[in-house]
Amino acid sequence: MNILIPHPWLLEHLDTDADPTTLQTNLSLSGPSVERVYEREGDSVYDIEVTTNRVDSMSVRGIAREAAVILEQFGIRAQLKQPNYEEVFLVPDVPEEEMLPLPAIHNDLELCERIMAVVLKDVERTSTPEWMAKRLRQIDINVHDSVIDITNYITHEVGHPVHAFDYDKLMALGGEIIIKAAAKGKKFVTLDGLEFETVGGEVVFENREGTIIDLPSIKGTANTAVDEQTRNVLLLIDSIEASKIRFASMTHQIRTVAAQLKEKQVDPHLALPTFKLGIKLYRELCSAKVASPLYDDFPGERQPAKVILPLQKVEEYLGLQLETEKIVHILDILGCEVKVEGEQLSIQPPTFRPDLKIAADIIEEIARIYGYHNLPSQIMATAIPLNKPANSNYALEMKIKRFLATIGWQEMYTYSLISEAMALATGQPLANHLKLENPLTEDQLYLRRSLQPSLVQVLNDNSTQGNLSVFEMANVYIPVENDLPRHELRLGLVSNKPYRAVKGDLEALLRNLFIEELIVKPLESESTQKAELFAAEAGKEIPIGTISVLPKARTAINLDMAALLEAASTYPQLQPLPKAAPVIEDMTFTLPEKTFSGQVINTIKQLADAIYQVELKDIYQQNYTFTITYLGPNASISAEDIKPIRQKIADTLMTEYRASLVGAV
Amino acid sequence: MTISELQEQATQLKNRIQQETEPDPQALQTKYLGKKGLFNDLVKSIAAISPEERPAAGQLLNELKTELETVIAKISEAGKRPADWVDLTIPGLQPKVGGVHPISQAIEEITHIFEKIGFTRVSYPEVDWDWYVFEALNMPPNHPARDEWETFFVDGPAHPEKGKMVLTTHTSNGQVREMERLGQPPIRMINIGRTYRRQQDATHTQVFHQFEGLVVDQGINIQHLKGTIDYFAKEFYGPEAKSRIRPFHFKFTEPSFEVDFSCHICHGTGRLEGQVDEAGQPQKCRFCKSGWHEVGGAGMVHPNVLEAGGIDPEVYTGFAFGWGVERTYSLKEGLNIDDIRQLYGTDIRFLEQF
Repeated sequence: MNILIPHPWLLEHLDTDADPTTLQTNLSLSGPSVERVYEREGDSVYDIEVTTNRVDSMSVRGIAREAAVILEQFGIRAQLKQPNYEEVFLVPDVPEEEMLPLPAIHNDLELCERIMAVVLKDVERTSTPEWMAKRLRQIDINVHDSVIDITNYITHEVGHPVHAFDYDKLMALGGEIIIKAAAKGKKFVTLDGLEFETVGGEVVFENREGTIIDLPSIKGTANTAVDEQTRNVLLLIDSIEASKIRFASMTHQIRTVAAQLKEKQVDPHLALPTFKLGIKLYRELCSAKVASPLYDDFPGERQPAKVILPLQKVEEYLGLQLETEKIVHILDILGCEVKVEGEQLSIQPPTFRPDLKIAADIIEEIARIYGYHNLPSQIMATAIPLNKPANSNYALEMKIKRFLATIGWQEMYTYSLISEAMALATGQPLANHLKLENPLTEDQLYLRRSLQPSLVQVLNDNSTQGNLSVFEMANVYIPVENDLPRHELRLGLVSNKPYRAVKGDLEALLRNLFIEELIVKPLESESTQKAELFAAEAGKEIPIGTISVLPKARTAINLDMAALLEAASTYPQLQPLPKAAPVIEDMTFTLPEKTFSGQVINTIKQLADAIYQVELKDIYQQNYTFTITYLGPNASISAEDIKPIRQKIADTLMTEYRASLVGAV
Repeated sequence: MTISELQEQATQLKNRIQQETEPDPQALQTKYLGKKGLFNDLVKSIAAISPEERPAAGQLLNELKTELETVIAKISEAGKRPADWVDLTIPGLQPKVGGVHPISQAIEEITHIFEKIGFTRVSYPEVDWDWYVFEALNMPPNHPARDEWETFFVDGPAHPEKGKMVLTTHTSNGQVREMERLGQPPIRMINIGRTYRRQQDATHTQVFHQFEGLVVDQGINIQHLKGTIDYFAKEFYGPEAKSRIRPFHFKFTEPSFEVDFSCHICHGTGRLEGQVDEAGQPQKCRFCKSGWHEVGGAGMVHPNVLEAGGIDPEVYTGFAFGWGVERTYSLKEGLNIDDIRQLYGTDIRFLEQF
């Protein structure tokens, strides 16, 4: 949460000559972060980020307290001042006959640990004086009139929310305040005219009839709200349990300043000084008269629990030893009571520090006030763990990316969450995708099971680019019943290059991973042209993914990275170099339409040991020219040996593929 | 023929070619090394050499051939007319090269920096149980601390013990998982992966990447956290880079810190040297917050988190940090990424530049 503090207002609580820049720098190094300093109406105004565990700093006085402690550590004179409302007398300003009765307050200590209330009579709705209006403007709070503005002003100065009721409305509704957890289904209207219905459990103020007359510490209701006719005010402070405030505020999404403070455990001891300042201002600005005794029901007055801090632990966290006196002094100026008990300290934190519960919390106070910037810095010299997770090979993943990039492919990072249309585009039913309960936008709704639609979208978005080949290596999410989804790393490739070029790149990639051979097995299908891919490795065929032809003459490849990494190697199994010279010959065959030339080549290869290599040299219409390399085991193979092999090739191709040789054998 | 006779013949052939005046290298090739050339005549005579001397003879002939080829090549070079003029300034024909995505580049650099000081790289689920993402990190259900992160929930039943299935808002879900994986310290983890938050604008995307460091052992203290952060800053941004930690609050660390790196434009001073504003004051640097950039959070691992991971906080301490990959990368000097959404966009013209 952020709080705005004008510098002159701060100086009412802090005696120092430090200028705003110094304050900003030093406070940020050891305490709340002063993110910005604005110049507003001639003053410096600090914009301070206060962390959720330090609601005690969400006020002018709270920041002043921090500043006093921190500046002193930096050698700058600074002291917390006595507040100017300390000496406010809370006795009635009118004789007994003119006093007004307090409403009957029925508290539930389980829900609320303190209630303070007082009746203010003849409250004049004067316009807010300029000095107060200026400060409210400087802290971005709307200016209304004194009666309302005083409540906002004192909350900001002291740190405890306070509410002003129209006293007469309250008394007309029965003059009773019952604090309870609301039943379900009760309607109420807030003072800005919005209607709500309880869900059950919200802490409310009700009258005897069960009408809700306030949503305490969150927002007032219309039926007891101050307006132009208000003559008398009931000023009230409650200390309702933080989690209850959070529940009601979050349920109805009423996120007022009061709610955001109270849900973080504001110190109930702040109620009295807040009251004092409030009464002082109502008297001065509205000519109000205190017309009742001060009601203060505070039986609990609980102290935070003591914290034991072994001095050894301070040294363990900081890596150096601090003098005990210094440690005690730091804790003392932060408001703690410290007893030295041998090698440990017994610490009583102040009531406004509910966040100090364990030794580590105390150590944080010591360390930040001592100054993190004062600690040396060194890398740990402890043992290095050697237990790597199984089945991870980040180096090989990067090698694959670099290789693809070098041969012309652009790596993409696309969103893991996809639209309904994209999810359907994979052919998987929507029910097979994990879905978000609370998506932000409709185009990011399902956890994807394929990279392909996202990569196809890239090509669609870059239609002016010409040849474009993109890839992505990312997880897809396969739902598993009663468990987290399986995260499977995939490598997806999509390109509008000619099919042979894309397949060639894939073959080159596999060769780069020392995978012997790529086997392509087309799937039977009328609607799509798709094939399964296998890596041949040590006699095994490992399925690694699929390749398919998409509309607009695009090719898509989907590879399973786990399988690829299993098949891959980082070094070759060297083949001995041929001893003799090869004989290289071409043979041209006319293949019937829709013949898989890859299968023809495989057939040829297996016909004789002497056939070392078969390549596709040229295609002209249906005429395919194969370049066949013959290699004898030790010496050059002779023409006589080759002739029967050639014959066998011609015969086999005719039998198996109805392919006829062009020319003579 | 004997080997010495062969030797003699070879020498004669060498001398002869040296004295040739024939300028045409092709003619010389034919005369000496052609099918019916002088060298082949000599080769035929190897049949007359005794079997024991044949290997030596073969060697001799190979040397001779090499020498003849060399001489002919020299003549060929010398006799060459100047080649056609080459335009040395012509634009080259570049091969079509693609690119590795900047996020991959950043992740690799980050990984390398931490692996050098003994960290193990790991990956943990992006879709995880509430328990690992929040509860084990000292954030009970409905706690205001969870408001910090706008969480995506997965549509489906909750786990009886581990809570709802969520998209992890931070790589910190890896902390307790790593403690479970190793069982006991020493732990030096660098967990890098996709993270998800319900937010989208010029500096936020719903999907992004974080890297998380976790070090747990006996005697780990705040100085080690400072040392590690400082080491990273200098490796990633350069030797001039400075780092600092300031007080902050996370439920899963105590003490908690915000980590800043110095602005490379104003060198951590907050002011631009040699420039003044209208008031005559040194010009404020507009790129940073008073000389520093916030990069993310860090802290000493909260004892409750160690316990959730089965590690005794009385014996061991640890520190952790978690930062955005994109954010950290965008602070590199001169990079000029002004809208993080471009990193996940499909515009090739942007990605091509990396």
